[in-house]
Amino acid sequence: MNKKEFLQLVKEKILVLDGAFGTELTKRGMPAGVCPEQWVLEHPMAIVELQREYQKAGSAAVYTCTFGANRLKLGEYGLQDRVVDMNRRLAELSRQALGPAGLVIGDLSSTGRFVQPFGDLPFEEAVEVFKEQVRGLLAGGVDLFVIETMMDIQEARAALLAVKESCDLPVIVTMTFNEDGRTLTGTDPVTALITLQSLGADAVGCNCSTGPEKMAEFIAAMKPYAKVPLVAKPNAGLPRLVDGKTVFDLPPEEFGRYVRPLIEQGVGIIGGCCGTSPVYIQTIVQNIRGMRPPVIGGPEIGALTSARKTVFLGFDQPLTIVGERINPTGKKQLQAELREGRFSEVRRFAVEQAEQGAAVLDVNVGMPGIDEQATMVKAVELLSQLVEAPLCIDSSTPEVIEAALRIYPGRALLNSISAERHKLERLLPVAARYGAMFILLPLSDAGVPATAEERCRLVGEVFARAQAFGYQKWDIIVDGLVMTVSADQKAAMETLKVIEWCSRELGCGTIIGLSNVSFGLPERSWINGAFLAMAVDRGLTMAIANPAGEMIMDLKAALDVLTQKDPNSQGYIHRFSQVKEERANQEKAAPGKTVEQRIYDAVLKGDREIIRDLLETALQEGAEAGAIVDEVLIPAINEVGRRFDRKEYYLPQLIQSAETMKSAFTFLEPKLVNANNGGGKDKARVKVVLATVKGDIHDIGKNIVALMLRNYNFEVHDLGKDVPAQDIIDKAKETGAQIIGLSALMTTTMAEMKEVIRQAKAEGLDCKFMIGGAVVNQQYAEEIGADGYAPDAYGAVKLAKRLAGQAAE
Amino acid sequence: MNDKGQIQFLTHIPAVPPRAMILARLGYRKHATVFDLDQRQKLDKGIREGLLLCETRGAFGRFKVVERNETEVCLAPDVTFTSRSLARLLSYSDEVILMAATVGPAIVERIAQEVTHGDAALGVILDAVASETADAGLDWLMDFINKMLRKEGKKLTEQRFSPGYGDLPLANQRLIYDLLKLERLGLKLTEKCMLIPEKSVLAIAGVEGVEIYE
Repeated sequence: MNKKEFLQLVKEKILVLDGAFGTELTKRGMPAGVCPEQWVLEHPMAIVELQREYQKAGSAAVYTCTFGANRLKLGEYGLQDRVVDMNRRLAELSRQALGPAGLVIGDLSSTGRFVQPFGDLPFEEAVEVFKEQVRGLLAGGVDLFVIETMMDIQEARAALLAVKESCDLPVIVTMTFNEDGRTLTGTDPVTALITLQSLGADAVGCNCSTGPEKMAEFIAAMKPYAKVPLVAKPNAGLPRLVDGKTVFDLPPEEFGRYVRPLIEQGVGIIGGCCGTSPVYIQTIVQNIRGMRPPVIGGPEIGALTSARKTVFLGFDQPLTIVGERINPTGKKQLQAELREGRFSEVRRFAVEQAEQGAAVLDVNVGMPGIDEQATMVKAVELLSQLVEAPLCIDSSTPEVIEAALRIYPGRALLNSISAERHKLERLLPVAARYGAMFILLPLSDAGVPATAEERCRLVGEVFARAQAFGYQKWDIIVDGLVMTVSADQKAAMETLKVIEWCSRELGCGTIIGLSNVSFGLPERSWINGAFLAMAVDRGLTMAIANPAGEMIMDLKAALDVLTQKDPNSQGYIHRFSQVKEERANQEKAAPGKTVEQRIYDAVLKGDREIIRDLLETALQEGAEAGAIVDEVLIPAINEVGRRFDRKEYYLPQLIQSAETMKSAFTFLEPKLVNANNGGGKDKARVKVVLATVKGDIHDIGKNIVALMLRNYNFEVHDLGKDVPAQDIIDKAKETGAQIIGLSALMTTTMAEMKEVIRQAKAEGLDCKFMIGGAVVNQQYAEEIGADGYAPDAYGAVKLAKRLAGQAAE
Repeated sequence: MNDKGQIQFLTHIPAVPPRAMILARLGYRKHATVFDLDQRQKLDKGIREGLLLCETRGAFGRFKVVERNETEVCLAPDVTFTSRSLARLLSYSDEVILMAATVGPAIVERIAQEVTHGDAALGVILDAVASETADAGLDWLMDFINKMLRKEGKKLTEQRFSPGYGDLPLANQRLIYDLLKLERLGLKLTEKCMLIPEKSVLAIAGVEGVEIYE
């Protein structure tokens, strides 16, 4: 059966598939825990009789019993080397069962492993696993293929590519959606549909997981965007475990009540999944009697997808901003990272742009000194999991584009295909193979045409070539080619003419690289903004821009309202109500405060940046350093402690204030003469040795205690983590420490605290011991002979003060 | 997921911890703690930065319970968890899921750098984000596994159990580490059974049947 014949078949009648195999084979004696495919080959009449029953019940097509007959699943039974042979024989059994009249559908399903970028199974390995199975099924004479019960869109893509690259037979793909309306890895029905039909699936739908009622909702969501027939193969209700067995208990007659609604929602191919039997198929046949298959027809709308989201493009959609920042041009840090194979800047740009309102992210990693293809693949793998926004694959190298499109788990936008002969010939088939939309760049081997007329001619030329690959006008976005007005003021108008012609005459979307227009001019945002408004008026649908530019994003919000693409102005109101709130929250500097009051406030607020200037001012105004410490800084930090105790401050505030205090002390220390206070230079500071005990590697708590103690003017000797008892004791002896602070986070290491204290006392060390950490408490402190336990960093300061004989707050 | 020793490794877990949990870990109390705009912006920036630094990955595997009594749960002749509480949790489970989540080394390194030589306030915010993201990673894994189990009419126990808590000694991390082959996830286990990178968590949950009313 070829694709045309398949399409004709499903246009003429509702295609009825089969029901479950597993539960039915169990009824026919298949024991639990065996390899079903092997058992069927050993008991061939079991499947032959079952499939004949399905055929008799009304199934026009049945799946081969090869659900788990791939190398990875068969490997669980040591049968990994029999893939081709088993698939061939199982397909032949189905043919034997149905005879020449029935359709045998070669069944592929999950490998049981998760495919990169979500899991660890390399994408190409997954494709090869499925290709091996396809070879066997083709040898067995299947009429078409189904890829079913897929929980991950990337694995479904791998299987679909495997079939497409092996034969021209039609292929159905059905995903499994959970009750939350998403696949296990987060893909919604519309996104799955668009991704799979773009990639070449001949029918798309859902099977398993939910009962028929919920499945009708998924089908209803898909139908408006479906260019291909839709498939439903629901379970007989939701599964339950009864006496250790999984059961599905929606009876056939109740199951049957949902059949008609499923067809009305758009299903043209229908069967049953887990828990169904030939009786359920009979019920389907009875319920569809007299019904016509739904009309198959695609919507005239462009759409991009990621693994988890669809972004629609077009004249009735808001202006789509494509974030431009993932591009090393002019970004030294990004360049350095890409050279080192690091992607933290890529991550940052992606997340920030998505937050700032970019609906699509352009990804360009082209720069000298790197393997662009490998870098692009890594970036695409990372971004396809990190952000929901679909990607725009941007490269001048066809091999880089193909590698990226192949592994991208969605429908990407290709940037770009021009009328340059070698690019056109190389890239059009690539774009079509992976179902990508593309940006059409109206330039040729002769360069960029100066006039709009010539650019429009090139657009027509490329579009005509693209149509041969199945492209429609809504699958293409024309780049208006923005040239800088500082070099030629007529350039902007030529671009606008191209946008207008594409929008009004050809009927395709357009895009501009906005900032090019103002290159070389001062205050560029005005030119950019004005040009954007003019272009939108001509029908512009997309702009490549930096979404961090508030003016552009504000303007976009306004333009969406004025062009009626922001229903009830909700987006606009949301954007500007946020701004208003932030502005309203801006605190005004309190007028009329003395410099001492402002120093006090700075410690309270943890404002390290201004404390030195304030202290300088206070000293210039005649204040004495000692008095500032005694009368301002100490009361301020004590107030911070009180607020922390009352939970008015949380930990970062406490630390910020302590760090501000430290800056103040560091600044004032040389100026303190004969001071009689906690910050006094001539007063001996209390020495503390701190350590995370041997075997323990967690030291953030201890590090914060060290920081706080230092800021309260203790002399801290921090030995770090995983410190042997003897090292701690030696350091205490060497420094004459009055206090040893020990930290341990885990139950396996807390016992080491006891050992340190025991050993120190045995060596006659005269100092106090304080302990802290997640698993210890005051009771444990007493048990091991410590002098106290501190529950947190400020508690440690108070305890250290008490142990040192200082007044604790 | 099966009981034939196949371990699933997930290279990106989209776990986002609840903001309230991050704040609670930092000592924030809803009706007591007072923020000004600067504080809120610093916190937001810290959380955003922390989430960017977290590269959350995970692994899980499904194992049959071969023997169980009031104090022990045995998965294999040389794999026995001794814990009365765990045995109680797994009372109705013939199988267990062992799972691991880590946020990777980048954020751990950054926390150390900020606390010792940089902005310690930012360091503790990053620390809270990392800890909560690792926990959120396990939450996400449990939700993910539950969706897989639902197809069989099964579910995970509502609670999970981690070594180092209750009466399940930390030393049991070694058993889980070995069974899940966590070196493939980039994790190391110290002599005292601590995980490196330290913002990594392991857990055990049971597999149960779905009740008729669920």
